[in-house]
Amino acid sequence: MDDNACSIDDFGPLPIMRPQSVAEIGDIVRRAAAEGQAIYPVGGRTLLHIGLPPTRPGIAVDLWSLSQVLDYPARDMTVTVQAGITLAQLQAILATENQRLPIDVPHAEQATLGGVLAANVNGARRLGFGTLRDYVIGISTINDQGQEVKAGGRVVKNVAGYDLCKLHIGALGTLGIISQVTLKLRPLPECASLITFGCETAALDHLLDHLHATRTRPVCLDVLNRASARFLVREFRANLPEAPWVILVGFEDNSDAVGWQVRQLIQELAPGAIQGLEARAGAACEPLWRGLIEHTASGQRLTFKANLLPSAVAAFCRQTQTHSESIRLHAHAGSGIVYGHLDGDLTLPQVAAMLKEMTDAAVRAEGNLVVPRCPSEWKRELPVWGRERGELVLMRQVKEKLDPQHLFNPGRFLAGI
Amino acid sequence: MSLTSTLSLIDRLRAIVGPDGILTSPSELLVYECDGFTIEKNKPDVVVFPTSTEQVVQIVKACNELDVPFLPRGAGTSLAGGCLPVGGGVMITLSRMKRILEVDYRNRYAVVEPGVINLWLTNHLKPQGWHFAPDPSSQGACTIGGNVATNSGGPHTLKYGVTVNHVLGLEFVLPDGRVVRTGGPVEDNPGYDLTGVIVGSEGTFGIATKVWVRITRNPEAYRTLLGVFETVDDATNTISDIIGAGIVPAALEMLDTLILQAVEAAFHFGFPLDAGAVLIMEVDGLEAGLENEAERIIKIAKKNHAREVRRANSDAERLLLWKSRKQAFGAVGRLAPSYCTQDGVVPRTRLPHILREIQRIGDKYDLRICNVFHAGDGNIHPILLFDERDAEQVKRVLAASGEILDECIRVGGSVTGEHGIGVEKIDFMPKLFSPEDLAMMMRLRAAFNPEGRCSPRKMLPTAGACIEPSKAGRRAAL
Repeated sequence: MDDNACSIDDFGPLPIMRPQSVAEIGDIVRRAAAEGQAIYPVGGRTLLHIGLPPTRPGIAVDLWSLSQVLDYPARDMTVTVQAGITLAQLQAILATENQRLPIDVPHAEQATLGGVLAANVNGARRLGFGTLRDYVIGISTINDQGQEVKAGGRVVKNVAGYDLCKLHIGALGTLGIISQVTLKLRPLPECASLITFGCETAALDHLLDHLHATRTRPVCLDVLNRASARFLVREFRANLPEAPWVILVGFEDNSDAVGWQVRQLIQELAPGAIQGLEARAGAACEPLWRGLIEHTASGQRLTFKANLLPSAVAAFCRQTQTHSESIRLHAHAGSGIVYGHLDGDLTLPQVAAMLKEMTDAAVRAEGNLVVPRCPSEWKRELPVWGRERGELVLMRQVKEKLDPQHLFNPGRFLAGI
Repeated sequence: MSLTSTLSLIDRLRAIVGPDGILTSPSELLVYECDGFTIEKNKPDVVVFPTSTEQVVQIVKACNELDVPFLPRGAGTSLAGGCLPVGGGVMITLSRMKRILEVDYRNRYAVVEPGVINLWLTNHLKPQGWHFAPDPSSQGACTIGGNVATNSGGPHTLKYGVTVNHVLGLEFVLPDGRVVRTGGPVEDNPGYDLTGVIVGSEGTFGIATKVWVRITRNPEAYRTLLGVFETVDDATNTISDIIGAGIVPAALEMLDTLILQAVEAAFHFGFPLDAGAVLIMEVDGLEAGLENEAERIIKIAKKNHAREVRRANSDAERLLLWKSRKQAFGAVGRLAPSYCTQDGVVPRTRLPHILREIQRIGDKYDLRICNVFHAGDGNIHPILLFDERDAEQVKRVLAASGEILDECIRVGGSVTGEHGIGVEKIDFMPKLFSPEDLAMMMRLRAAFNPEGRCSPRKMLPTAGACIEPSKAGRRAAL
């Protein structure tokens, strides 16, 4: 990217600085702090729509140039890289050693590790492999004084000092600029399989309850509504049944274990309740995996993400569907995460009323609902970061101590942090 | 603090927890003068046993009003002085808050009070085929609150992760007495991952009074293998090759000759007493494919000159093997009157090197050192044998420990994989972290614990600075 300025939520233009070293980032931070400028770290700019509009003029700091692999002791199954590396680059390097970071990231060619961490990106396979908090074992960030500070280390087990890695994951860059990361890795699976089938609305609850209790151990248990399934068929040439709901169950393991699980699951599924069962393995899974990964980021106008008890996912999806036929719903049902894309011509009051009802439902199921994407002018009206919870007071205290001048991404995180 | 205000503190605490919820006499307090790290000792001024969050809140508020430090304690099995009451004060023991409040199998979580013993939860879940994954060797005694404080590990963390990977939320009493709930039963709550950073903060951020933990389905099957090696190098090379082959074992534990002798005398498992080292190698998961994986491991071990690879042929045999491993520390008493367990970490590939260094350092200081540790994670536990009645030996133990940990740092590792910094390892923090790193950690502590009243002088070298000297005098007068 060779442009000289960017904007976030129509706020800008923010001049772009392109540091070539950690020392340069430090200089930029100190200068900005002295001049009262805010700092907006950017990477591949695939997720800039997340969060509230900025509240202070400042500069964008582009980490794209800091993309080196600093240390890859493959036999230790860890890697230390600079934060500007793209996920595609990283995974390609790891694949040469038959390893991976088992986190599903949309736009991997463009998305940088730092950005992915700041937004805590994950996807379908989180059920089997967890999320970034399970893989980041060391982190370096540039703090409000322009110093590079680290936490954690380079070994897989380490409890020395406070685990600031956890704080930076999902903090939307509000506590400093992520410059370097050490990750724990996993071996690439010997074998993968994806089973898909359709079902009627009345069968959805029961099927999900059943899948929860299956003898198999899926790494992915996703649900798509009809509109989402059609989208994947159209955009990714995935072969999916035409049904009100499509369920996808993924396995990754050695080939014996995957083979047994596929047979076992097919046996467990009562033929009456499901339609269009298909099992695919190996390379044949790829278009569908890709579709599943990219789909959560495919919203054009408005995307929401609800987190709730897995047992409430079916009811939540059914209720949400009644608001709009064209809404695209995609649930990581095993983990209680539901994405929805609304691309139609709904008005702000309609959307606000709908999101309120759905937030109520998510909160009743112990969760919340956030809006990672919507028109900028709606952001002040919609629950971008969900309903306020009691722990906000502590989050504010953390922000006040670690970034007292509100240098980093001011205003964009929840409650305007 | 005058005598009147001391009495008023005790009266207030007694009013909160009742007469059977408080200890004040010196002989009773003696039990609480240290944890598993016995080299430093100090009695608290008073120990209280709250039974509810509300009582914890009232205790903390009383401590604030009367300007007295306090610290939480679980079962006291920690090994780095994490619940050593430096400078005295009020010790808040959570062992009476021991209810399992909720188990939700459909949504894969349980809610427990902090005093619940780790193994109780797993036993409670067993009939349904579930367990709580972190399994420290002390799991029969340690509390889940303590696991949260130290981010405990255990043999099976190699595959399943440490405590933080299994904690979803907390109810937490801040050092000023406010109650906050972080996270909860669902994942991906918006905002900072406070739960993630509180886990492992060693009681310096406040007191957990409720814990939402993830529960894990039991594996369908196990293969538990015992590899017998002539040399430590052969054993460590085996570990490296297993990991390198893309196998993720559930556990890879190593025991050396010296510890084998003690363990065998205690448990009669049938360990070979002349082996250089043995490896406990376990894979688990679905039955399908597991045998293959076990065969691959056996092949790797044989390639690295394993004298033999035995299998645990029954559940009973597997359990005895694990009992022998987990209670190995208890057996050390057969070797020497006192011992000091270290907790270094090195990149897995540096295990052969660090074990040779341990041998060399043991020779240099004329100390016997035995090893039983989480080899798959590179987490070493050299056990230094000595007699604590001999001050000169204590000195040599401390010097040797320091040298081992320095070497861990030098090869890119850490001074603690699971036991924590506590008071024991404070001096190593400036070796692992720069002054800027530590200043950031101090700022984070100040967000939770601005006055440093909760667990003072723990983990960070500068953490004692915010306790005024005058207060130490007051504590002494308590």
